[in-house]
Amino acid sequence: MHTHSKVVLLAAALLAVSSTFALAADKKVAFVPQIIGIPYFDAMEAGGKEAAAKFGVDFIYQGPVDTNPVDQMQIVQNLIDQGVNAVAVSVLDASSIAPVVEAAKAKHVALFTSDSDAPKSGRALYVAQATDEGLGDAIIDEMVKRVGEDAKIGIVSGEATASNLNAWIGFMQARAKAKYPKLKLLEPQFAGGTAQRAAQIATDLMTANPDLKGLIGVASTTCPGVGQAIETAGKIGQVIGTGYCSPNTARAYLKSGSFGYSVLWDPKELGYLTVWAGKQLIDGKEVPATTTPEGMSHPVTYDAKTGVLLLGEPAVFTAQNVDNYKF
Amino acid sequence: MTPRVSPILAILGLLWVVVVTGLAVLKPGAIALSTVTAVLQFSTILALVALGQALVIVCGGAGIDISVGGMVSLAVVLAMLLVKAGLPGVLLPALCLAIGLALGLLNGFLVTRLRLLPLIATLGTFYVYSGAAVALTGGAAQAGVPTYLLPWGRGAVGGLPLPFLTLALPVFVMAGALLHTTSWGRWIYGMGFNERSARLVGIPVDRVRLAAYGASGALAGCAALVSLAWLGGGRPNIGQNLELTSLTAAMLGGIGIFGGRGGVFGVLAAVLLLVTLQTGLLQLNVNTVWQVGIVGTILLIVLLIDNLALIRRTS
Amino acid sequence: MRAFLQRFGEREALLALGCMVSGLVFSILSPYFATPDNLLTVARNSTELLLIGLGMTLLLGIGGIDVSVGSVLGLAAIGIGRLLEAGAPPALAALAGPVAGLALGVVTAFVVIFGRIPAIVATLGLLGLYRAGIFLALGGSWLSGLPVGLTNLLAARIFGLPFSVLVIALAYAGVFVAVRLTPFGAHLLAIGNSEARARLAGIGVRRVQVAAFVLSGGLCGLAASFYVATYRNVEMTIGATLALEALAAVVLGGTAVTGGRISLLGTAFGVILLRLLQNGLLLVGVPSLWQPVVTGLLLLLVLGAEALWGRLPLERLRQSVVGVAQRGAVR
Repeated sequence: MHTHSKVVLLAAALLAVSSTFALAADKKVAFVPQIIGIPYFDAMEAGGKEAAAKFGVDFIYQGPVDTNPVDQMQIVQNLIDQGVNAVAVSVLDASSIAPVVEAAKAKHVALFTSDSDAPKSGRALYVAQATDEGLGDAIIDEMVKRVGEDAKIGIVSGEATASNLNAWIGFMQARAKAKYPKLKLLEPQFAGGTAQRAAQIATDLMTANPDLKGLIGVASTTCPGVGQAIETAGKIGQVIGTGYCSPNTARAYLKSGSFGYSVLWDPKELGYLTVWAGKQLIDGKEVPATTTPEGMSHPVTYDAKTGVLLLGEPAVFTAQNVDNYKF
Repeated sequence: MTPRVSPILAILGLLWVVVVTGLAVLKPGAIALSTVTAVLQFSTILALVALGQALVIVCGGAGIDISVGGMVSLAVVLAMLLVKAGLPGVLLPALCLAIGLALGLLNGFLVTRLRLLPLIATLGTFYVYSGAAVALTGGAAQAGVPTYLLPWGRGAVGGLPLPFLTLALPVFVMAGALLHTTSWGRWIYGMGFNERSARLVGIPVDRVRLAAYGASGALAGCAALVSLAWLGGGRPNIGQNLELTSLTAAMLGGIGIFGGRGGVFGVLAAVLLLVTLQTGLLQLNVNTVWQVGIVGTILLIVLLIDNLALIRRTS
Repeated sequence: MRAFLQRFGEREALLALGCMVSGLVFSILSPYFATPDNLLTVARNSTELLLIGLGMTLLLGIGGIDVSVGSVLGLAAIGIGRLLEAGAPPALAALAGPVAGLALGVVTAFVVIFGRIPAIVATLGLLGLYRAGIFLALGGSWLSGLPVGLTNLLAARIFGLPFSVLVIALAYAGVFVAVRLTPFGAHLLAIGNSEARARLAGIGVRRVQVAAFVLSGGLCGLAASFYVATYRNVEMTIGATLALEALAAVVLGGTAVTGGRISLLGTAFGVILLRLLQNGLLLVGVPSLWQPVVTGLLLLLVLGAEALWGRLPLERLRQSVVGVAQRGAVR
């Protein structure tokens, strides 16, 4: 009996030691993109890694190979099960992440969104690159600067089911209606994930609307297709191409003149901020209304009511400034 | 007429043990009840759809159903649109099932009445079903699943998710019983193995085949219901890629592509193996790209081993 | 020979009619459809599918299939893109496409024929492998804005015709000659009709099968050269939809998926009709989301109508008179 309780005590002590050891080990922050293998999310991964090294956490980057929400959920579920401390998700479909939000709550994992939001899902916070409204407004305002108010603009998006892209299109339409009544936005067309279809659709839009002044590639996968279509059609200067794509993706088209500008934020910085936010959540710290996270060059704002942590304004890249950016 | 015994279950079992042991060694913490729950939860939709795929293939006549994913998507969308249009939410399960059945029977009609080749007929309906699901909704997810479904869709008993326990498992047991104990089962294997002699001995080949396509549709409807109850919303492209993954699972499960060969429990085993493998790789934080390649490799290797075994036995 | 001529006039004529009627309707509904520029666009958009469809026609002819064609195009395109990035001469890059395609065709042939795995399953497995290969080879970034050398090379016009038109015409003519004027064609169809009987007849079954798979791979690689020249961009989802589109076009053209009956001309018309509809529908204002639905309905209508037509007593009568000789010649 005596020895038995000794063994139990020893075991308990061992358990305590091992669990404190586990506690002392690095906290883990994971980020789940919408899809892997595209430059945009790769840049976010690079930023996340940098922040992880700075703040002493482990960083896990894991995402689906197709824009398939069930595959994405499976990845999030497994991250929760393997005991990461915080998971950030760039949500493919705002309506379908509810099950993993519940699972995260049950396991005390901080689940938050980054890059693409699910506002009513019960996520801890949302790390926003810019507001959806700001993005929609910026691309329309920049377009009007170049082609004037009295113009016809085509929209080529990627998957029709991507909720963040649809939100941007919605704000573009709202902006045009509110501020530029003469601007005519054509119905958005959807090219799926391939540059080939995007180029086809962009070409057909230009043919069907000879008076087309601008073409907006909404998904970053559609940007090369739109740029290439304008070049091939020999409409450089007549049709201004643009889209939400990184300087690296847009560079060739900005230089050739088929793209007038491109709107984006620095995805690397967004990845950095995401991991920083994860660290704050793990430490249980309140995020102040305005703060400059260590290692960042400018302040970010946080709205405690909506839970939106905002990186800043979107940047506009042109042929003149594109070479200053390497992402 | 009895199905030829293939070593497939043994191979799959062995692979499964390898995967689980590997995971246990590399990451002991992953061997937990919650992992079992996750594996089964993510297996349910694929299992249901793969069962339908398997039934259609076993019936022979170059049977295949490319439209399974399209049926799931369209059943989700149509059922949600009908509920939004004012039908009572209580009917949602029945609606999913009925719509799936109708879509499946249309496939069956094209194959048995118009005599279109199954690959072509279901390729056509794949485009129509999956395209219509996205076009009808403009791609927008359909919210508003009645809340009474959610506890079922997300609940678990003893670590076993309810949709798996109360829908997928019973359906597999029923299909197994049907294939191995009833005359329908003997007909199915008979016509799959040799259609001409099946017709000669008076098996109602066309009616059985029509039923198989109907069953595949109804199972897709079940999968649609599971997705609605689980996700709490209807996603117009929920069935994306299911045509290829279900085909992979059926082939891996020992279903002979020419019909008349294989059993449903091999399919279930294959689905569980695939999802366990995915889970294991995710737990080890292996890049998901490798999943795609590994699944392709396993499919080829298992079929090669199976082929060699068959050749040795027959020669 | 006779069978081929008699076959024309059925499906091929129907598709040609379909192209003309839809062309007429589109040009009435949209003033921008029947312009040289737009028709050239349709032709350019058809390039890859025409080449891949040609290979797929041969594969269906022997009772095979390849669902990995899009990924073969993707892998070849990566090779071409990397060469261009490294500053290789455009002609070398253009040749690298078909070479890579041929090599991958050998791999496919090996797995299908020597592994004795049904083609649809084997290529499904290979699809997974090739997809992973594409992800790894691209390593997260895309190849975009590739040098224009290849574009300029392949944009050259010969006798006033775009180079791509010439290459496609040559490819079709070459396969046509091989199928019609050499034993290869007869062997191909014999294998498609019955592999066992073809073997008994002393046909080198494996040799013909290997040839079909390798040729199809080479055509995918050739398509990749044109793809890179046109889009100057390789992303990881490259070619994802091509396999099913090619299958739809080829079947639309009257080639039987069960083997033993092929139509090269039908494939060409099938591809053009598909691309014409995609282009025209957008021009007349049908949202692009409905395009898959149209593709599916077209497939079902053409094949369904043929099936129904074939069951009319009138048709049966005609077939009993004409068809006996015709069938005999085909089989």
